[in-house]
Amino acid sequence: MTESLLEIRHLSGGYPPVQVFRNVNLSLFPGESVGLFGPNGHGKTSLMKTLAGLIDPWDGDILFGGKRLNLPGKMKTRLSQHLNYDIFRRRRIDPASVVREGLIYVMQGNLLFPEMTVDEVLAIAPSAAGGRPGIQQMQKQIHALFPRLKERRNSKIRFLSGGERQMVSIAAGLLAMPRLLILDEPTLGLSPKMRLELGAAIQAIRETGLPLLIIDQNVEFLCSLIDRLYLFDHGTITRELDSNHMPDHEQIMSLMFESHA
Amino acid sequence: MELETLLYILVSGLVLGGLYALMAIGLSVVWTTIGVFNFAHGTFVALGAYIAWQVSSSLGGAPGFLLGAVVAPVALFMIGYALHYALVKPFERNPNIVLLSVITTLAAASIIESMIQLIWGPREKQIEAPVNGNLEFAGLSFSAQDILTFVVTLFILAALAWFLKRSRTGRAMRAAAQNREAAQLMGFNVTHLYALTIGIAAATAAIAGLFIGSIRFINPTFGVDPLMKSLIVVIFGGVAHFTSPILAAFIVGLIEAFSVYFFGLYWAPSILFGLMIIVLLIKPEGLFGFQRKTL
Amino acid sequence: MKYDPPFQRTNGFPPVLILFGIMLFLPMILTDTYSRHILILVMIYAVIASNWDLSLGYGGIFNFAHMTFFAIGLYGYGLLAKVIGINPWLAILLAALVAVAFAALLSIPILKLEGVYVILVTIAASQLVLKLIVSQSDYTGGTSGMVLLPRLTVGDYKLNSDGRIGYYYAGLFLLGLSTLFLYKFNRSALGRAVKALRDNKYYAISRGVSEPRMRLVTLCASAFFPGLIGGFYGSYVRVASPDVFGLGFLTITLSILLVGGVSSTWGPILAAFLITVLAELLGDYGIWRDISIAALIILVIILYPGGLFAAVQELWNFADKNKTALIAWYRRQYKANARKELTGAEEKMIETRHGTVAVADTKTGAKSIVFIHGNSSCKEIFTHQFHYFSDHYRVVAIDLPGHGVSYNGRPEEDYSVQSYAQMVAEVVQKLDLVDPVIFGWSLGGYVALEYAAAGYPLTAVSISGTSPVSVFPDDMPKGYIPSPHMELAGKRFHSRYEKQKYALNTVGTDKPEAKMFRDAVWRTDGRAREYVFSKLKTIDWPRQTRLLQQGNIPFAMLNGPEDPFINHSYCQSLKYGNIWTGNVITIKGGGHAPFFMKPVQFNHQFRMFLKSLE
Repeated sequence: MTESLLEIRHLSGGYPPVQVFRNVNLSLFPGESVGLFGPNGHGKTSLMKTLAGLIDPWDGDILFGGKRLNLPGKMKTRLSQHLNYDIFRRRRIDPASVVREGLIYVMQGNLLFPEMTVDEVLAIAPSAAGGRPGIQQMQKQIHALFPRLKERRNSKIRFLSGGERQMVSIAAGLLAMPRLLILDEPTLGLSPKMRLELGAAIQAIRETGLPLLIIDQNVEFLCSLIDRLYLFDHGTITRELDSNHMPDHEQIMSLMFESHA
Repeated sequence: MELETLLYILVSGLVLGGLYALMAIGLSVVWTTIGVFNFAHGTFVALGAYIAWQVSSSLGGAPGFLLGAVVAPVALFMIGYALHYALVKPFERNPNIVLLSVITTLAAASIIESMIQLIWGPREKQIEAPVNGNLEFAGLSFSAQDILTFVVTLFILAALAWFLKRSRTGRAMRAAAQNREAAQLMGFNVTHLYALTIGIAAATAAIAGLFIGSIRFINPTFGVDPLMKSLIVVIFGGVAHFTSPILAAFIVGLIEAFSVYFFGLYWAPSILFGLMIIVLLIKPEGLFGFQRKTL
Repeated sequence: MKYDPPFQRTNGFPPVLILFGIMLFLPMILTDTYSRHILILVMIYAVIASNWDLSLGYGGIFNFAHMTFFAIGLYGYGLLAKVIGINPWLAILLAALVAVAFAALLSIPILKLEGVYVILVTIAASQLVLKLIVSQSDYTGGTSGMVLLPRLTVGDYKLNSDGRIGYYYAGLFLLGLSTLFLYKFNRSALGRAVKALRDNKYYAISRGVSEPRMRLVTLCASAFFPGLIGGFYGSYVRVASPDVFGLGFLTITLSILLVGGVSSTWGPILAAFLITVLAELLGDYGIWRDISIAALIILVIILYPGGLFAAVQELWNFADKNKTALIAWYRRQYKANARKELTGAEEKMIETRHGTVAVADTKTGAKSIVFIHGNSSCKEIFTHQFHYFSDHYRVVAIDLPGHGVSYNGRPEEDYSVQSYAQMVAEVVQKLDLVDPVIFGWSLGGYVALEYAAAGYPLTAVSISGTSPVSVFPDDMPKGYIPSPHMELAGKRFHSRYEKQKYALNTVGTDKPEAKMFRDAVWRTDGRAREYVFSKLKTIDWPRQTRLLQQGNIPFAMLNGPEDPFINHSYCQSLKYGNIWTGNVITIKGGGHAPFFMKPVQFNHQFRMFLKSLE
C-alpha cells in the first residue's frame, strides 16, 4: 500500500462550545481525486476550514505527506468562558504553514478580494509557494485552463460573475503550487453552462495528476470528477464508496437515510 | 478682496490640508485594514514630534532636522508594530473587537501622553525648521518651510499609495484588509500584516508630528488636536478609497484657512464642526463614497 | 392551570437591598469629608457609566455621547443657576431636560449610521459643544470655566455641611433612582424591543420594531440621568470647566463601563467603586498613577474582556455547579432509605461514558421496563409504577446526568438528548436487560424516541407529556402551548420563585408528599437545562418522525388532556404508523405527569399496553 498523502485521524472540532464534526477519518492517496458529499449545514465546510487552519481542531490528527500539521493532543477544555485564551495559547494549527506544505483550500463562495484586479490577485497568489519551481509553467497552464481570465485581467474582482470569481480562486490556488487542492462547492450558484465549463477545467486539472478533494451538492457532477466518494452526515463520515459503486441521486439519498437506521 | 490675498489663503489652506492628510491617512488605513479605530493616533503624532525634537535639537540645524526625519518615523514604526500585538491582537477573534480596541487604544494614548510628560516635562518645545526665509514666486513670497512641508507631504502620500498598490507587501496588506480569511488561505501572516499597517500609520504620524513641531509649539497633550482633526477629515471624506480622506483633508484645510480669514480664529472650529454635521446629515458615509471597508 | 409569567422576579433583589443598606449606613462609619467625597464621586461615575451602558450595552449603539450629556447638565446648571439665577434644584432638573433635548437632536445624524461612524459623530458633536461653550466666554468663562456655582440647600441647611452628608444622601438617592429606572426600563416592553434590535436587527424590524424610533428612545432615555448627575456635580464641586470634554475623563468613564462589563447595569456600578477608589489610593504617585491605571485597564480588558459582571456570573456558575453536586452527594450518602421507600428497589451507581448515573432496579422479572424522567426531575417520580409493575416486570429507572443522585456531567459531552440516549443504552447493556420497554416522560420522551431511532435494542417505546416534533424549531409552537415554560426549562439559573412555579407545573400538585419531586429542581445542574435545550437543534428530528410513522416499533402515548405545556390536540393530529389503540391515550386529570397524578388509571392503561406486546 502506498503512503497516503492526506490522512485525517479521529478529527473532531467546531466552534467552542459547539462541536460541529466528530471522529472524522479520511485518507487520500497521491494522484487520487476524492469527493465528499453530504447535506448542507452538517459541518463539511467547518471540517475543511479546520484542515486549512482557520479553526482549531479539538482532537485527532491531520497528517499531510507524512507530517503532522496540528499540535499533538487534545484541546484542553476551558475552565473559564470569558478568559481570553487567545493570548496564552498557541493556535493548534497555523494556516500559513498548511499553505507552505502545499495543502490549498479554495473556499466556498469565495468573494476573494473585491477591490483588487484579477492580475493583482494572481500576482500575490504565488508568494506562499516561496519560489518553488514551475510557477511560470503553471501560469501558462492557467491561461490555457481559463482563457476568460486573460480577457478580464484588469477588472476588479467584485465586477466578475460568480463563475469567473471561482476561476480566479482556483487559479490562485494553483499558483500556490499545491500538492493537494481542496475545492469547496466550486459550482455553487452557477449557471449550467458555467458549471460545464468549470467542470471541464477541473477535469483537466485532475488529468495533470494533482490530487483533488472536491465537495459538491450535485452528485452526478461530483461523481464524474472523482475516484472515490465519502458520505458525510451529521458531523461525521458515514460511508466510503469506490469508483465501481458511484451512486446516482436516488441511490445516494437512500444511502444517506439508510445510514441512520 | 484682492487676488493676492486669495492666493495666500489658498496656499496656507493647501499646506494645512497636506498636514491633515498626512495625519488622517494613518487613521484611515488602520481603520480600513484592521477595522479598529486607533485613538492613540494623536499621541503617535505627539511622540513623533518629541523624538524628532530630541534628535534634531542635539544635532541642530538642517542636519538635525534630517536625522529627526529619519529617526522619528523608524522609532514610531517599531512602537506601532509592537503596540498591535499588545492592544489589538488579543481580540483578533472577539466579535467586540471594535469596542475593546477603542478602550485599549485610549488607555495607550493616556500612557504615551504621561510618558512624554515624564521624559520631556510639561514645557513647550519647538523643532528648529531646516529652511528659513521666503521663496519668491511670481511676485508673491511664500514661507520656504511651508513649501517644504507641502512637497514632502505630497511625496509621502504618493509613496504610500505606490507601496499599497504596487509592492508585494502592500498588495498583501490590501488583501488582508479586504478578506482576512482568504488572505490567510493564501498563506499570508495576517497578524504580521496588521502590525505592519499600524507601524506604517505610526510612521506617517511621526512625519506629521515633525512638521507640526517645526511650525507650532508642542506640549505633551498636543496629540488631542491632530486626533480630532483626523477624525473630522475621516468623517468628511469617508474611507471608501485611499484618496478620499486625502481630498477631504485638503477641503478641510481650505475651509479652515478661509473661515479663519473671514470669521476669525474663534469661530473657525465651530464652522468646521457645523459643516461636518451637515455633511453627516446629507451623506453619512462621507463626501466621497460608501461605507464599504476597502483599501 | 394558568401559567403566569415569572419574568419580573430575579435573584438580584436581596443583594441590591443589602448593598444600598450598607451605602445608607456607611457615612456613620466614614465620618471624614474625604472618604465621603470619594463615595460621592463613585456615585457620579456609576450613574454616567450605567446609563451609558443602556445605549451602548443594551442598545448596541457604540457612542461617546454620554460625556457630552454630562457636560451639558453641568454647564446647563451653571448657566441656569448662576447666570440666570433660578432655583438650583429646578436648574438641575432643567439642565437634565436640556441634555435630553440634545440627545434627541443628536440622534438625527446617528439614525442612519453604523459602527464606528456613530463613535466619530458623537465625538465630533462633543467637540462642537465644547467649541460653542468656549467661544461664549462672556457667559461660560471660556477655557478657564465657570466658578462659584450655587450650592444646593434645603431651607437654610447647606448640603455640604456636616461633612457633606447632604450631598452623600442626595447622590445615593440619584443613584438609586437611576438604577431603578434602568432596571424597569430594561424589563419593559420598550427595553425588550431595544435589546431585540441589538440582537437580531432585521428580525426585530420585520416584527415591527422601528429602528430610528428605538435609537431615539434609547439615547433620550439614557441622557436624562447623566444630565441630572452633571447638574448635581456642578452644584457639588461648584466649578464647570471644559476638562469634562477631555479624553481623560472619557477614558476613565469608558473603562469603568468596560471593566464592569457591558449590558449589565451592575457591572459599571461595581467598577465605578473599584476604579475610583483605586485611583484615589494611588493619588500620591502623580503621573505614575495615570500610567498604572491605564496599564491595569489594558491588562484587564486583554485578559478578561467580559469584565467584572462576567466574572461574577462565572463565579455564580461555579458555585451553582458545586452546590448541586453537593446536594447530590448528600442525598447519596444519607437519603438512600427514603428513596428506597419510594421505589422499593435496589439503587446502584453505574458508570457510563456519560458519567456515573444512579439506577433503581427491581432485578426480578423476565421482561423489563426502563423509565426515563423529564427535565429537572428524578427517578423517584415513578414511585407508583415501581410498586405496581414490579410483580411481573423488572422495573428500572435512571437519574439522568446532572439530575437526582447521579453525578453532574461534563456539559459539552453529557448534556444532550443524544448522549442521554447513549447513556440509557449503556445502562441497558450493563444490566443485561433484553429488549426492554422504554418509557419516557417529557424531556425523557425525546430521550426514549432518540433511543429508539438510534436503533438500540427494545420491544416498545412509550412517551408521556412529549410532543413529537418533525421540523425544529418550527413545530415547537405547534406542539407546545405558548408559555414561558420553554424559556424556564432551558434556563440555567432559576430564581426561587421561578423554581417553585416550574416545579409546581411540571409535577402538577402542591401536596406536601410531592415536595421531594418539586425539590428536584433545586438539585438539577443548571447547565444540564441550558445545554440540553440549546442542543435540541442538533437532534435528527425527522429520524424520530420516520420512526413513529413507519411503525416498526410498537408505540404508546399517554397524555393528560389538561397538560399545561403540550398541545394535546396537536399530538392527536399527528400520523402514527403503529400506535397502540390507534390514538393517544387520554388520562383525565393527569396534567403533565399522568403517571404520578392519576397512577391508577395510568398503570391500568400501561399494563394493557404491555400485555398487548406479548
